[in-house]
Amino acid sequence: MRNYLKQIRTILWKDLLVEFRTRERLIAMGAFVVLVAILFNYATDWARVSPEDIASGLVWMTIMFAGLLGVGRTFHLEAEDGAFQGILLSPVPKDAIFIAKALANFVFLYIVALLVVGVFIFFFGLEVGGSFGMLTLVIALGVLAFVALGTLFTAVSTGTRMGDTLLPVLIFPLLAPVVIYGTGATSQFLAGRPVTEAEGSIRMLAAFALTAFFLGSWLFRFVVED
Amino acid sequence: MSTKKILLAGTMLAMIGLVWLGVVYWMSFFWVSTEVTQGIAQRIFYVHVPAAWTSFLAFGLAALFSGMYLWLRDERLDRAAVSAAEGGMVFATIMLTTGPLWGKIAWGTYWTWEPRLTLTLLLWFIFLGYFLVRSSTENPEKGKRHAAVVAIVGALDIPFIHLSVIWFRSLHPAPVVIKPEGPTLPGDMLTTLLMSLGAFTVLFLGLFLLRYSLENLRSELDTRSRHASV
Amino acid sequence: MNRNQILCGLVTGITFLVCTITLFAQETSELPGAQLAAQGLGRPYWHVFIAYAIAIGIVFFWVVSIGRRLSEIEKKIGS
Repeated sequence: MRNYLKQIRTILWKDLLVEFRTRERLIAMGAFVVLVAILFNYATDWARVSPEDIASGLVWMTIMFAGLLGVGRTFHLEAEDGAFQGILLSPVPKDAIFIAKALANFVFLYIVALLVVGVFIFFFGLEVGGSFGMLTLVIALGVLAFVALGTLFTAVSTGTRMGDTLLPVLIFPLLAPVVIYGTGATSQFLAGRPVTEAEGSIRMLAAFALTAFFLGSWLFRFVVED
Repeated sequence: MSTKKILLAGTMLAMIGLVWLGVVYWMSFFWVSTEVTQGIAQRIFYVHVPAAWTSFLAFGLAALFSGMYLWLRDERLDRAAVSAAEGGMVFATIMLTTGPLWGKIAWGTYWTWEPRLTLTLLLWFIFLGYFLVRSSTENPEKGKRHAAVVAIVGALDIPFIHLSVIWFRSLHPAPVVIKPEGPTLPGDMLTTLLMSLGAFTVLFLGLFLLRYSLENLRSELDTRSRHASV
Repeated sequence: MNRNQILCGLVTGITFLVCTITLFAQETSELPGAQLAAQGLGRPYWHVFIAYAIAIGIVFFWVVSIGRRLSEIEKKIGS
């Protein structure tokens, strides 16, 4: 067990280190998020709708698209110089590789998701108020579900001729519950309702995230085997 | 069973199914009584619901065969899975095209976010991904495995999608004028529905067997040409 | 022509038959026109007919596509 955790930590640390040295993915996703927010400003008639009404949906869709941008690159670096074969040949169990990869993606996407919330607060004067802690929890659960399915299906789509263009077709239908429950809980927070009202959707989101994560770590071996 | 026998059985079943479907068409046009509140448009029910049922059956079979394929690695299971998935796409398309036609009359709009309709639409896209993965992977062996993973995740995601779309609907009640089907069906309507369910199921099973034997023949041809090249 | 091709042809033929029956049913079901016109139900009828035609049409296309692929492969295996 300790060995297993150590293997996960090694791969996770490697990914984080590469990313924090180059900052390629974070910069791309961060810039994407800010630019999307700027474009949303011009795509919306703010005289007719107030930010609270539609912000929860916009936040979640921005997270989805930014996530697509980041998760799609999970295996690119290693695929280019054949290093992924090395990882697969090493005596690390396949599910440990998946968990490490998904956690690395989780760290990046979670940072970006918080940036999304920050950008919306900054640009559109969103009132998050007292439920900020719960909001970060909901976003963490949603992001966890996203990276679990995203990492699994990135491994699938990298092996195809279509590459990253296939990824949204594969994961968007599966992620409908994340958008529905995530947006539901978020809009209740933004409307200033008590946290207990969003409890049901938070619980469903947690169940979905855990299921997706276990599914991913179980099925990943079938995707990468040769 | 040899491919020949499966082909024969599939042809027989498909023919029975088609004739049966003809009977169902006759029944739903001339025999069954018109529903009181919705009038004639309710007759779409007799193709819409059986198509939905058949597509769920087919997608379920596809996911089941996919799971067994990953477990047992028998080529035949993958062939069965892809045959069932194709059938599911066909019947889901019927469900998704007849639904809005009925909805326009019953609800006044072509599309409402009715949970079952939404679930079927998402399933359609999940299995579109299944076929895209299969066809765009260079190594067919790998494509089969990847597609099986898509089918399994899709099947296990269904409860979540189902619950979430129902929950969404409860949050945003749509302007439903008339419920899609009455609480209880009078006798002749139930008979027609059951007949139609039977027709669609038999037709699907027959065409599924035909499609399966097609895959069998294709792999036979593959091995033969490989032997020839060696 | 081998047996399988004949069978495929049969399936296709029966589908055609069912299609024409459907079309015919559409024609005749409008016969008691006086009653129905009184009800003012023009549009629902069209929707019902289109729905039934789509259903049989999609099934028909699937049958034809399976039949075509089968006969292609049979030809290749035969040669």
